[in-house]
Formats: sequence, structure tokens, C-alpha cells
Amino acid sequence: MIKHYAALIKREFWEHRSMWVTPAAIASIVVLGTLTTLMFAGDFAKELDLAIFGAQNIAGDMERKAMLTGFFVMSSPLFLLALMILIVFYTLDSLYAERKDKSILFWRSLPVTDAETVISKLLTALILVPTITLAAVFATHVINLIVTSIWVSMKGGDASVLIWGSVSLLDNWFAAIIVMYSACIWMSPFIGWFLFVSGYTKRAPLLMAFLPLILIPMVEGIFLRSAHFAEAVWGRLAQIPLFSGIDIEAIFDDDRPHLNEEMISLLSTIDLGKFVTSIDTWIGIVVCGLLTTAAIYVRRYRDDS
Amino acid sequence: MTSLVNARNVSKHFGSVRAVDNVSFEIEKGRILGLIGPNGAGKTTLLKAVLGLTDCDGDLSVLGFDPFRQRKQLMQNICFIADVAVLPRWIKVSQLLDYVAAIHPNFSRPRAEELLKQTKVLPGAKVRELSKGMVTQLHLSIIMAIDAKLLVLDEPTLGLDILFRKEFYANLLNDYFDEDRTILITTHQVEEIENLLTDIMFINDGKILLDASMDSLSDRYVELMATGEGAQKGRGLGPIAESEMFGKSVMLFEGVSREHLEGLGEIRIPSVADLFVAKIKEARK
Repeated sequence: MIKHYAALIKREFWEHRSMWVTPAAIASIVVLGTLTTLMFAGDFAKELDLAIFGAQNIAGDMERKAMLTGFFVMSSPLFLLALMILIVFYTLDSLYAERKDKSILFWRSLPVTDAETVISKLLTALILVPTITLAAVFATHVINLIVTSIWVSMKGGDASVLIWGSVSLLDNWFAAIIVMYSACIWMSPFIGWFLFVSGYTKRAPLLMAFLPLILIPMVEGIFLRSAHFAEAVWGRLAQIPLFSGIDIEAIFDDDRPHLNEEMISLLSTIDLGKFVTSIDTWIGIVVCGLLTTAAIYVRRYRDDS
Repeated sequence: MTSLVNARNVSKHFGSVRAVDNVSFEIEKGRILGLIGPNGAGKTTLLKAVLGLTDCDGDLSVLGFDPFRQRKQLMQNICFIADVAVLPRWIKVSQLLDYVAAIHPNFSRPRAEELLKQTKVLPGAKVRELSKGMVTQLHLSIIMAIDAKLLVLDEPTLGLDILFRKEFYANLLNDYFDEDRTILITTHQVEEIENLLTDIMFINDGKILLDASMDSLSDRYVELMATGEGAQKGRGLGPIAESEMFGKSVMLFEGVSREHLEGLGEIRIPSVADLFVAKIKEARK
């Protein structure tokens, strides 16, 4: 069973090279950005480099940790955005391309059910794509730390203390793992919808997927003067119930920031219990399940010939 | 029971169009059946029903399975080539072998590799880099490495040149077929396969016009080439088709014994193509 699904998911990985090319490209850009910044940072911001990488004058341990965490977090939205775009294009292509190039007849000549095929594509979007993106995030962090360590050493600082001793690598990584997978689960109704459109539409899957999401709220607004659909669909993008409130004032309530471990910890901003117990999370999973079932049904019953 | 495919009153409708219309037939183990019909006759729909790719009315059992509802079990014992173009173009040959090996319990990877060594297909090549003939060789190598009870070929050599077509069927017969295997073929190039068929089925407008073994054809059908009086007498015996060739009348008889035709002209066994044309014309009358 697991071997079977592993083969199906591996097949997706072979077909969709963008799954690893895109995160690798972003990782390269981020590392290049770090290199460029470090090379030209000298005159540009003495205070900055001192504060982050080795100042004895102003920055204490906590400040240095905070700066390094910020340094990590900076690239995360880029990876998260890339992940979402990758998933949109992957899912919309996943059941459409095989019909377009007629390879569906070959795939269906093998002993694999339509349900197994569609579920393998869902698992690819929910597990494989974020896992590859996470690997790119981790690699970026490690390379950035090495590059920065070399830079700090060249400036005469002790990288083992100033960088490796200050960085909360595991905290950052666990937070990234939780955020990436939770975001995918939170967005799973969209994934189900894209799979369904991909299996159903005869042309232009991108247009066919987004047109209803734009037109239905317009029609609802005009005729019913309400915005329930827009709130349920588009509102979902901004409302993941995963983060506990970050108290900005507590950090800056005095002239000088006084930080503690908890404030710096990214994990402490995450409330997984809130996510798991949120009714909206479960509604999303159910909607995803229904739309995936519809996608299986469409693949099984549609006859393009 | 040796019948692999058992169809009783099978129909498939697309709206008001009857693609397959109340068809009944059996395919015995160890046979090579040619399913012949003009475009739009219902061949592909019938094959799709046999392969579980489409639902149909009536009773259809393939290897004892309901093909549409038990497609996965069925596909472990059936192979099919629907058209030469269906292999995904992005995949590498080695990936294709990896995938089929992981998915198919009856696939022998060493056997496929051995077959591929006899061709110019390299393991590192992508399907899109291969010529049409090489793609067919690749597909056939995979299919022949699967220990299947029934092989279904739907226009397998479409668009290939004569050398590849000959090689395709030679490989199929020499390296694949034995008494435990059964093959179902549809093709337009009926002349090329008639020598390898053991059975033949004609289909037109969703109905079966002829379902017979090749051996029985020579007993049932006779062709007479005659002129003048011989042709006149022949016409009196009720040929199912008549055409002119080199100034002679060519008549095709069904169920008329050779003795009746002796002396009227040249007697011979009709080709499958001639028989097919005659049957279609007869059905359209």
C-alpha cells in the first residue's frame, strides 16, 4: 500500500520538475541576497552589522537572537508564497495534462484505481510539495549561517558564539514545519477545488478555476447584497487560526526593547491547539474531501472520446 | 470454462446514439481475435467496455471480473495499447520501467530490459526524444514483459511505416503469444493481420455482422471470378456481393458449396478485406 503510493507520488515528482526547481531558485536568490548584503553592508550600515553580528557595545544576547530570528523569518514569506503558487499550478495541471496528451489511457492501462491516482495527487500537494519547500528553507538557513559565520570571522568576531551560539535553529525549523503543513491543510479546500477543475475542464484550467471564485461573489453582491461566499472563500486566505497574539507593545513599551526567550521564540507565537480545534479547519478538510471525491468521480466516469 | 470474455446483450448509448447495440459474443482462451469495423462502428467503445474504461448495459464479464467495477483486479491480468501516442512524453525510459515495476505485480523488469536491448531505445532517453516507431517498441517491450492473460490492441500500429508494422506483429507472435495468452486486435490494416488471426469479428453501427473462426471462413464463404454464362449462373445462386475486376465478375457467396460453383469460373477463398466490404454493403442495403 505504502509502496504503491510512494511509486505514484514519485511519478508526480518526476513529471513536475517545478516542485524542486522553484524552491531551489528561491533559495539561491536568498543566499545571493545575503552574500550581496554582507559584501556591501560595511559602509552602508555599521550599526546594523555590529548589532547583528558581533557588537559588544549595544546588543545583548537576546537582541542578537532576535535579529538572527528576524534574519531567518525574512525569507519565509517568499517560500510560503512560492509554495502556494506551486500548489495552484501543480493541482490544476495534475488531472488536466494527462488528458491533454492522452497519456491517461496509458496510466489507466495499469492496475491503479482512479481513487488511488487522485489521492496520490492530493498527497503530493499536501505533503510532498511543502516537504521539498521546507528542505529548501532549511538549506537556505544553513548556507546563510555558514556564509554569515565566515563574514563574522573575517571581521574578527567569534562565529561559534555570535552566530551558532545565538541562533535558535530548532525553534525556527519546528515553527516553519508547523506553518507550512498547517497552511496546506488550511488551504486544502482550494486544493480539492483545483483537483476537481483539473479533472473536469476541457480547456484553460486556471481561468475555469478562478472565474467562479470571482463571479459568484459579484453575483451574490449584486442580487443578494451579501458577501457570504467571498468571506468564506477569500476570507480564508487571511484567517488561519494558527497564531497566538504577538504583543508588540510588550517589546517596545520602554525606550529600549527588553526581550525574553519567549518573545523571540517563533514557536511560542504558534498555537497548534487553536488550529486543530478550530471548526473552520475541519470544515476545510471536509470540503476538500468532498471536492476530491468529485475529482475521482469525474476521472472515473468522464469519457473524452 | 475457457472463455475469457463473455458478453451478453451489451449496449452502450451516447444520448440517442447506440455505439454498441445489444452485442453478445465470447472470446476463448488462446485465440487471436481481430475486431474489424469502419470508423465509428463502435469498436473502440466495445474495447473500452471490455477494459473497464466505460460503463455499459448488459452482462459483461472479463476474466470473471466486472470490468468497470473491478478495473484494478482486471488490469493486473490485462494489457492494452490504445494508440502509439499515449506514453507520456515527459518521462524517461528508466523511470517508466521503475514505475511499472512498482505498480504492476506481473511485470518483469529484466524481461523488459532484455527486449529493449534489441532496439535502439536507450534507458536515459525521454519519450519525447524517441521516434514514433521507437515509442511503439518501448510500449510493446513493457507490454510483453507483463504476464497477462489478455492483450488488447486498439490500432497499435497506426502511423507506423511498414517495416515497424511487420516487426511489431512478428515480435508479438514469436516472443509473446502462446496457448495461455489471448489477443484482441482492432485495426484498419486488416490485410496485414489476417494471417495471424484465429478468429474474426466484424462490427458495424454497433452490431456484430460476423463472428467466426478463420478456419470456418473457407467453408462458409467462396469467391467466384467468372465471365459470360458462368457469371450468369453464379448470379442465380444469390451472391452476397458482386464487383467487376479486369472485365470479370467477382461474386462472393455465403453458405454455397464449392461443388455448386465448380466449372463456372475461378474459385478461391475470399480475403478478409473483401469479405468485410461485402458484409458492410450487405448490412447497409
